[in-house]
Amino acid sequence: FSSQVKMNVGVAHSEVNPNTRVMNSRGIWLTYALGVGMLHIVLLSIPFFSVPVVWTLTNVIHNLGMYVFLHAVKGTPFETPDQGKARLLTHWEQLDYGVQFTSSRKFFTISPIILYFLASFYTKYDPTHFIINTASLLSVLIPKLPQLHGVRIFGINKY
Amino acid sequence: MTESSVKKLSNGDRCYSTNGVKPGKNGCVKNHYLYKKQHCYPEEKIYHVEHNGGLYKRPFNEVFEETPMLVAVLTYMGYGILTIFGYLRDFLRKWKIEKCQNATEREEQKDFVPLYQDFENFYTRNLYMRIRDSWNRPICSVPGAKFDVMDRVSYDYNWTFKYTGKVVKDVINMGSYNYLGFAENHGLCVDAAADVTMKYGVGVSSTRREMGNLGKHEELEKLVARFLGVEAAMAFGMGFATNSMNIPALVGKGCLILSDELNHASLVLGARLSGATIRVFKHNNMQSLEKLLKDAIVHGQPRTHRPWKKILILVEGIYSMEGSIIRLPEVIALKKKYKAFLYLDEAHSIGALGPSGKGVVEYFGLDPKDVDIMMGTFTKSFGAAGGYIGGKKELIDYLFTHSHSAVYATSMSPPVVEQIITSMKCIMGEDGTTLGQDRIKQLAENTRYFRRKLQEMGFIIYGNSDSPVVPLMLYMPAKIGAFGREMLKRNIGVVVVGFPATPIIESRARFCLSAAHTKEMLDTALRMISEVGDLLQLKYSRHSLVPLLD
Repeated sequence: FSSQVKMNVGVAHSEVNPNTRVMNSRGIWLTYALGVGMLHIVLLSIPFFSVPVVWTLTNVIHNLGMYVFLHAVKGTPFETPDQGKARLLTHWEQLDYGVQFTSSRKFFTISPIILYFLASFYTKYDPTHFIINTASLLSVLIPKLPQLHGVRIFGINKY
Repeated sequence: MTESSVKKLSNGDRCYSTNGVKPGKNGCVKNHYLYKKQHCYPEEKIYHVEHNGGLYKRPFNEVFEETPMLVAVLTYMGYGILTIFGYLRDFLRKWKIEKCQNATEREEQKDFVPLYQDFENFYTRNLYMRIRDSWNRPICSVPGAKFDVMDRVSYDYNWTFKYTGKVVKDVINMGSYNYLGFAENHGLCVDAAADVTMKYGVGVSSTRREMGNLGKHEELEKLVARFLGVEAAMAFGMGFATNSMNIPALVGKGCLILSDELNHASLVLGARLSGATIRVFKHNNMQSLEKLLKDAIVHGQPRTHRPWKKILILVEGIYSMEGSIIRLPEVIALKKKYKAFLYLDEAHSIGALGPSGKGVVEYFGLDPKDVDIMMGTFTKSFGAAGGYIGGKKELIDYLFTHSHSAVYATSMSPPVVEQIITSMKCIMGEDGTTLGQDRIKQLAENTRYFRRKLQEMGFIIYGNSDSPVVPLMLYMPAKIGAFGREMLKRNIGVVVVGFPATPIIESRARFCLSAAHTKEMLDTALRMISEVGDLLQLKYSRHSLVPLLD
């Protein structure tokens, strides 16, 4: 660690913003998949919920978590030497320094869709569950569109 | 797909470099080539080292073992749990349930636009503070092979420290860059420096170009030039400033800098200050470098396609975080083929590599005249402070007039200069004793022994088998703090590093070997490391090594 470091002094690399590389590191996709699996199992073990409810809950909680960590929280949890270029950018916008259609981006776009398919199947396409799941999926897919890179609708979350 | 920590070198196994064979994707020979060799002695089957004809006159053995997948997953889970608890604690602090120990704005200024974004401090508050006692430890003796550490306790989880007044004596020092053991307070270097202080005083109070050019500085520069085998050399007061102030003097707009991925902050700062275009090639990867060179020459400058004014390759001799040695013969071959300039930063390798301590150029048996700019520091092997640049006489004359350091920075202090002169003469053997040569041999032996033993114990060690910098992988964030503390309990001082200074899963403990370490000290250290390794389950390596009989 480097406490209150203003430059890359003591760092092992000339990477200006390490946040851009985190989603590419070894084993993180597997950890993410295991995390979602663990969430699902925990929800399944609660006796009150039926299987369709559990799947919808998994989908909703997963999308909520993804929205908060990738599209709501801005900046980096550590100081970067680039004078805060990434301070107003969400983690999604920081990935790979804004280059679109990299493999991490594709993975994180496809995974909520797969979860949505599974949830739709296990809820037997019930209308209420469908509305909830679709709304939740849209809330997490629309911010990922390249057209919405850096866009803040109605000024929400701008600063 | 996801990157692995070792994408830069090999796909998970040992990597060997041969000349004349088309190398694999990541700058080394594909593994299948090795097994076609006939002369594969049975006891060496797993740890087979290739001798290379042509460019390399000695075996180049560099390994970066891949992170085991289970360890990677557990590391991410560790960081995830720490993040969740971090958010929880921040929530408690905000709602005043827990006392906030951080500096906050005054009440009257709460409605102003904030000066700092408090999320940027998240890591420092929630992760770094928990294990802060492994860094900035105050010592109260000279940091030689053993030193004394002041004991401190914290009653509020590392937010403040109190000194108990006790001093932990004779802690084995595995963290200082004391490669040749010149960090000592007795001996002829110290006496010479004391005499010079009596004669010249401590401060110079002027820059080189005004009143600060002492005869000692000229003597030092001639000695450095002779030591390196170059025409002329120039010394500066600060190693960091040598890089950051001289690269802007050498390149400017319209030039291209090709810098290694893991270059030190001083090189990165110097490159950015110069205004040249910077392109980064993968660490120690000659394919990447050649591709960049070819693209640069074929396409020229980005918009106008004019040829580049200069192409400068920035590399280091030993990379201190990885322990890897630059593939210098290949870099020089590329440089000659594509007519680029080479800037070699030997901060860690001068004095530490090579049969007579003359650095990485001598280690590979190359001609120092092939390297255009040889830079180094006096901080590591010479026990002093400052840096130097060596090269052709025209280059040094140019730097005298155009470098920021020469014109504006105060010149080196006389006792420091004398320390460098004495230690350099000692290394070269000109003081009449064989002390320098003994120390170099001792360092090489210590390096080989230490690395070999650690690999046999089953730790994952990065880097070249000849480099005195030994990074030992810890991976998980909790083990960083645990390792530092457990080692101090056993009287060994180590340096641990974590994210964001290293990639997120590759936190490590870095040992720096010294000629001042005796075999008994190394044995004690190894025993303790093995104990802590068993306690913390750090022996991740999946390669088996046949133990030597010594």
